[in-house]
Amino acid sequence: MSTETIQSNPGFFTRNKHYWLLVPGVVWMTLFLVVPLGMMVYVSFWTQTTFAISNDLTLKSWQTFFASETYFGALIRTIRIWLTVLFLTILIGYPAALFIGQMVRNKTTQTILLVACVIPFWTSFLIRVLAWRPMLGKEGAINILLQKLGLIDAPIEVLLFTELAVIIGMVQIYVVFMVGPIAFMLARIDQSLIEAARDLGASGWTIFRKIILPLSLPGVVVGAIFVSVMVLGEFATSSALSGRKVNLLGNIIVTQVGSLKWAFAAVIGVVLTAVMALVVTILLRIVDLRKEL
Amino acid sequence: MIELSALSKSFGDAVALRDVSLTIEDDEYLTLLGPSGSGKSTLLRLIAGLDKPDAGSILVNGQNTIGLPPHQRGLGIVQQNYALFPHMTVQQNVEFGLRWREENPVRDEKELARRVGAMLELVGLNGFENRGVGQISGGQKQRVSLARTLVTEPKVCLLDEPLGALDANLRERMTLELRRIRDTLGVTFMHVTGNEDEALAMGDRMIVLDQGHVVMIAPPDAIYNLPCSMRVAQVLNAYNILGGQSRDNGFEHGGKLLPLPEGASEAAHYAIRYDAAKIVPQDDPSALLQVTFLTSEFTGGGVTYFMRGPDGVFEVERHLSRADPEVYTSGQALAVTWDAKDALVYDAQGVLIGHSEMRGAA
Repeated sequence: MSTETIQSNPGFFTRNKHYWLLVPGVVWMTLFLVVPLGMMVYVSFWTQTTFAISNDLTLKSWQTFFASETYFGALIRTIRIWLTVLFLTILIGYPAALFIGQMVRNKTTQTILLVACVIPFWTSFLIRVLAWRPMLGKEGAINILLQKLGLIDAPIEVLLFTELAVIIGMVQIYVVFMVGPIAFMLARIDQSLIEAARDLGASGWTIFRKIILPLSLPGVVVGAIFVSVMVLGEFATSSALSGRKVNLLGNIIVTQVGSLKWAFAAVIGVVLTAVMALVVTILLRIVDLRKEL
Repeated sequence: MIELSALSKSFGDAVALRDVSLTIEDDEYLTLLGPSGSGKSTLLRLIAGLDKPDAGSILVNGQNTIGLPPHQRGLGIVQQNYALFPHMTVQQNVEFGLRWREENPVRDEKELARRVGAMLELVGLNGFENRGVGQISGGQKQRVSLARTLVTEPKVCLLDEPLGALDANLRERMTLELRRIRDTLGVTFMHVTGNEDEALAMGDRMIVLDQGHVVMIAPPDAIYNLPCSMRVAQVLNAYNILGGQSRDNGFEHGGKLLPLPEGASEAAHYAIRYDAAKIVPQDDPSALLQVTFLTSEFTGGGVTYFMRGPDGVFEVERHLSRADPEVYTSGQALAVTWDAKDALVYDAQGVLIGHSEMRGAA
C-alpha cells in the first residue's frame, strides 16, 4: 500500500498490466469452449421435430433420454466400460510404471522405456483400432494360434464384436496414459526415503504400502483423469470393435448428429460433460494435487 | 561394539575405501572427518548396510553383519537430507520404525504415543505431533529425523553430515543438543562431517579419513595438537605447511634456516599452526620468515591475516581477547616468527618425525 502512494498512484491499466498475458488464452477459451458449452446446454432445451428444430424451450428431449431404455442403458454401459477400462489400465499400468520409475535407476533407460510406451502412437488411431480386428476375429491371429497350439478346438467367438473386444482395444490404447504419470511420480520419489524406511526395519511390502503407493497416488489420479476423460468420450473404438453393437454415449451423439437431431445430441452432450466433471471432481478429492505439483 | 576390519570398496576404477579398520565403542561420540571425496559417506553406507564392501568384515558385538539389513545390526541412520516421509505428520514419521518394522512391531496406540511423545520431548519438539513435515523448519526436520531413528533404540546412530544443511546459528545450538541427547540415551553417535571445527568440537574420539584411508584416530585435542601425518595437518586446515629440507640442524625453506625441534634430521615438511605464529616488523631480531601482507579476515573473536611467503600463502590467526587488531596495508613487507617448540616436522612420506615434548598431546 505504502509503495503505491509513493508512486503517485499509477493508472488501473498500468497496475494490472500483467493480466494482458491472459488475453489470448481467455479469448480463445471463451470463443471455443465457454460459448459452445453454453450453446450446448441451451440447444438441449430446444424443440426437436422430425425434420426441423426450433428454439421453443421444452424438456422433451431430456424426458426421452431418461425414459428410454436404449439411451439410459447407454449411460450405464458407458459407466460400466469406463470403470472396467480404468481398473484394467491401473492393474496393467501400475506394475509397468513401478518397473520404469523405481527399478530402473538409470535416467536414460527410463526415458527410452517411456518413449517405447509411446511407439504405438506413431500409427494413426484408427489403424490401431482396426488392427485389432485381424487379431481378435474368428479367424484372427489369436484364434489361429490357440488352435495351432491345440489349446482350443473351436475358435473363441466372443473375442470380436463384443463388449470384451471394446475393452481389450481401449485398454491397449489408453494404458500408456496411465503408465506415464505414475512412472513420473515414482521416479521423483527420493531413494533416501526408501533407504530410511528399510533402515527403520520395514519390509518391502510395507515400504510399498506406506511410502511408495501413497507418494505415487497423485500419478494414479492424473492417469485416471486422462483415461477417464478419453474413455467416457469414446466412440470410434466401440463402433469399430463391436460391429456397432456396443453403443456408448459417444456413439449415440454421433448417430443423432448424423440424423440432424441436434437437441437430443445436446442432451447427451450435457450428460456426458456432467459425468466427466463429476468423475474428475471425485478423482481430485482423492489427493490434493495442489500439494503435489 | 562394532569392529571394522580391512574394509575396501571401489566404484568401477575409483577406489573409495582401502583397507579401513577401526573399532566403534559403546556409548561414545565419534566424529569422522574427511574432505569431500575421502570416502566418508561410503564408509557410513557400508557400516549401515546400504552398500556391500568388496572385501573385509564388519562385526557387531562379534557377529558378522555383511548382508544383514541395518536394523538387524542395531544401527540407525540419520541421513544428510533428513529423508522425512513427506506425506506423513511428525508423529507418523517418528513412529514409523516402531509401528511398521518387520520384527516385533509396536501396535499399541498408547505405547506408541508414549514413546513418540518422550522422544519428541527429548529433541525439543513436543506439541509438533500433528504438524506435516512440510510445515516445519530445517532445524526441526533435523530433530524429527533424529527422533525417528533414536525412538527405535539403536545401539549406534550414524549421522551423515547432520549439521550440513543448517545455518550457523542453528548449527551451534544443534551441536550442544546432539551431545545432550547422546548423553541422555547413552547411545553411540558416529557423526560424519567435512567440517573440521565440528569434528573437533563434538567428538570424544575423532577419525580422520583421507583418500579412502584412515589416517588418524585419536581424541580431538590430540589430533589438533599433534597431527600424526602431513595429510591430517592439511585436513584440519589449521597449519601452515612449508616445504624444504633439513640442513645444519635447521630446516631450509625459501633461503632461510628455520629452527628445528630435536631429532628431526630427515624433515621434508615443516608445519606451524596458524595461531602459533606471530607477525613482527621485518627488521625484528626474532623474524624467521619474510612475508608480504595480502589481506585479513575478521572472524569475530579474532583476525586471520593472509600473507605471501616464499612457498605460498602463510596464515596467522590472532585472538583479540588480549589485544586490538593490528592493521596492515596490502603489499606491506612484514615478517613472521614462532617458537621452535611449536613446529612439527614431517618426512618425505608425510610421517611426523619431530616435535617438542614440551607441547605434548594434552
